Amino acid sequence: MYKNENNFESLRRLLALKRYETPPPGYYHHFSSQVLQRIRAGDTGTSAGWAEDLFGQAPWLEKLLHAFDVKPVFASAFAGALCLLLLLGIIYAERPDFTPQPILQTAAASPTAVSTPTTSLAAVSPTVLSEPADQQPGIVTSTSPVLSLQPVAPPFEQTSSLAQPVSFSPSGN
Amino acid sequence: MIMSAPITCTDDSETPAPVDEDLLVRQARRGDLQAYDELVRRHQERIYATIYHMTANHEDANDLAQESFIKAYQALKSFKGGSSFYTWLYRIAVNKTINFLKQRKNRIHMSLNDLDFKAEHDPDLMALISDKTPRREAGLTELQEKLNDALLKLSEPHRLVVVLHDVQGQSHEEIAKIMDCNIGTVRSRLFYARQQLQALLSDYLK
Repeated sequence: MYKNENNFESLRRLLALKRYETPPPGYYHHFSSQVLQRIRAGDTGTSAGWAEDLFGQAPWLEKLLHAFDVKPVFASAFAGALCLLLLLGIIYAERPDFTPQPILQTAAASPTAVSTPTTSLAAVSPTVLSEPADQQPGIVTSTSPVLSLQPVAPPFEQTSSLAQPVSFSPSGN
Repeated sequence: MIMSAPITCTDDSETPAPVDEDLLVRQARRGDLQAYDELVRRHQERIYATIYHMTANHEDANDLAQESFIKAYQALKSFKGGSSFYTWLYRIAVNKTINFLKQRKNRIHMSLNDLDFKAEHDPDLMALISDKTPRREAGLTELQEKLNDALLKLSEPHRLVVVLHDVQGQSHEEIAKIMDCNIGTVRSRLFYARQQLQALLSDYLK
């Protein structure tokens, strides 16, 4: 498809005329000295900027941005995908029926649980067993089992800190 | 911009021996400015011409060409030698030019007030402007203006391919290395760019 050069022969001859366009006479005699002068002066150029340095270090980024530039459809698709990901993230985070893995079921199914009957559910978590039947079995709120629900006595004797009304009557008139 | 003797096509045979260039690059990397001066002299015409044909403005081309050489000198330490110094330098110049063109809002067309009509002796040019076609009336100046207008209507990648191949005579392989794409992409860009140019310059190509 692209090999028929003869179709463009006159165009190529026309374009070749641009080779006649050269800078003013003597331009190249001073060019290199101007470049070296600017290098010695520590000139870093004016239009370089951080973007050019960034593109120099990461050519894939330049290609990506160039693809966006050339094909707006690609840019739209990329933006759409990003929005979709964001929406999915929000929906997933706000889902109320998020259920974690049933840890106790997994533990009961494991061979260690079978071989050691002392680590039965009753021994580990009595609170789970005392739950009503309509609740989902095996749901725990903490990985450390609650062994006793009785209130723990404070280690020190409590002193009453209640405020009592004080009556004051001046005496000795 | 003056029209004088054309810049001839750039074959690899015209470029200096690669060993010498490698040596110059090593010396320049160590801070030898004389060696870098030699490198600048070797490549200044082609770098300038490419930038000029992309920007269509001498002042812009001058600034960008100088900045490209300065940038290349500063980045010499990162030059690994995976490609030739020439290709690497070209990449810097081309990237700089494309970035510049993206930033430039109002495109300044080249001044054609000081045309040197030595070009009139070129047989191809004479053939183009001597027929009884609209180009006869247009003459050299208008032809040049139309040609540059048409080139500026192309996108930067398409214009670059046309400039490198049809104006500067670079091979598809070399262009692919400079533009960091495959040869098929270069061929397709060249094809569509020529198609566009042919449509834009149809009056001058009868």
